Amino acid sequence: MNRDIKDITIKGLNVWYGPVHAVKGIDLKIPAGSITTILGANGAGKSSTLKAIAGGLNYTGTIMVGEESINDLPVYKRVRNGIVLCPEGRGIFYQMTVKENLLAGAYTTKNTNLDLIFDIFPFIKDRLNQIAGTLSGGEQQMLAIARALMASPKYLMLDEPSLGLAPIIIQKIVDVIKKINESLKITVILVEQNTSVALSIAHYGYVFENGKVALSGKASELAGNPIIQEKYLGGVRK
Amino acid sequence: MINQIILGLSTGAMYSLVAIGLVMMYKVSGVMNFAYGNMGMFITYIIWWLSSSMGVNLYLSIILGIMFAAIMGVSVERYGLRPIRHLSHGSMLIVTFGILMILEGLAVEIWGTEYKSFPELISGTPFVFKGDFGIVVLRKQDLLVFTTLIVISIAIAIFTKFTKFGIAIRAVSENEEVAGYMGINVGSVLGFSWAFGVSMAALVGVIAAPKVFVSPTMLTFYQIQGFTAAVLGGFETFTGAVFGGLILGVLEKIVGNYISEGFKASISLVIIILVLVFFPSGLFGRKIRRRA
Repeated sequence: MNRDIKDITIKGLNVWYGPVHAVKGIDLKIPAGSITTILGANGAGKSSTLKAIAGGLNYTGTIMVGEESINDLPVYKRVRNGIVLCPEGRGIFYQMTVKENLLAGAYTTKNTNLDLIFDIFPFIKDRLNQIAGTLSGGEQQMLAIARALMASPKYLMLDEPSLGLAPIIIQKIVDVIKKINESLKITVILVEQNTSVALSIAHYGYVFENGKVALSGKASELAGNPIIQEKYLGGVRK
Repeated sequence: MINQIILGLSTGAMYSLVAIGLVMMYKVSGVMNFAYGNMGMFITYIIWWLSSSMGVNLYLSIILGIMFAAIMGVSVERYGLRPIRHLSHGSMLIVTFGILMILEGLAVEIWGTEYKSFPELISGTPFVFKGDFGIVVLRKQDLLVFTTLIVISIAIAIFTKFTKFGIAIRAVSENEEVAGYMGINVGSVLGFSWAFGVSMAALVGVIAAPKVFVSPTMLTFYQIQGFTAAVLGGFETFTGAVFGGLILGVLEKIVGNYISEGFKASISLVIIILVLVFFPSGLFGRKIRRRA
């Protein structure tokens, strides 16, 4: 699969919600082909950063794919350029069937072939006509990822995919994310509060605090950083 | 009795058509369009004016009118509602109220309050069936209404179930933000819903015009009844809108016939209250069990 994946570079990103300054001049670099994780507490600006990259809210600063700014592109054009967000809280279409959810994800592509999805998520094959709202939490999360994959992303942003799920399900999702990154060559930007899980699969990591980057580096280095261990890993080295 | 039911169904089918348009706009954009009836009224005036004063062929006038309706729908949504979408639901409602009054004022100003007659699209002797069940009369106009309703219902069912844009419409109606992240151009879906809705209003205007005449208040009653039909159906589904309209039509006819004509109008208001109190999600409201 020869697809030109480029680095995503973000310079001086600011996001305001009315008087609230949620993201305060963040610089980020997401290397092509990597899994890059963004860590931090609630309200640190992680989700806002993802939404800004997806084009779903107003921001200032520059977001570049390769050398080109995508600032002027509306959300749907970014999706056509392969920048796809799988939002927090799954956000599947509860009243539609599993299959219709997948087709909605494929809106920008001519791709209606579900074989790739069946390969990654075998359970979906038998559930195509089930109403999505009746799936279990873990299945809903997987459907949300599958739906995002239908858009043929080059850059996939996952906002807290482990939220509210049992450890065994989280492990499944982690395997899926690795597979997406390694065999489909998709750059993954992973926002997580589950620090140990995120650092175990990511290549690079950023730690946000109060809308600013507090720490950044290779995931392996971050995992060994005493501050991270103290604050986010409960002081226990895994 | 059978004749009463047929007459009721025929009127009801009109309410269903009104309700379908209202539901489409409400489902997608979340706005109850109070100007709906007057938009249809205004377009009907334009069609009447084209065909009677400008000498344009009636059918061509109708096609032009419906195209104009679509443009009107898109423009109102794009320039009247979308700029204030982020503010509140109430502010958008007020805009539709404003349009209601503007259109009524314009119509009175341009064309006056005098009733104008509008030609029947279809006329001729009614079909009469005789048998053990008695005599059943089916007017050709009823047939036109039924056919329109059936064609539009089937078209909507196929469209929303099996086409990409149809699925996009349902996606936007369920979760606008997420639909956007799927690459769906939410703006064009919103625009479409209003183009469709106002076109339905125009269609209703054209079908109703021979009976109620063209006047500034010609569709006010239809708007109220269509709203009731939509409430009966739960305001969320097209199936609900269709059956809500038919039920209301028959109910109204029976009440008018066996109790009093005078109750015909008030019954819909009573129904709205009863349905909202006892069946808040409509008679056909489906509760989908949703996990986690």
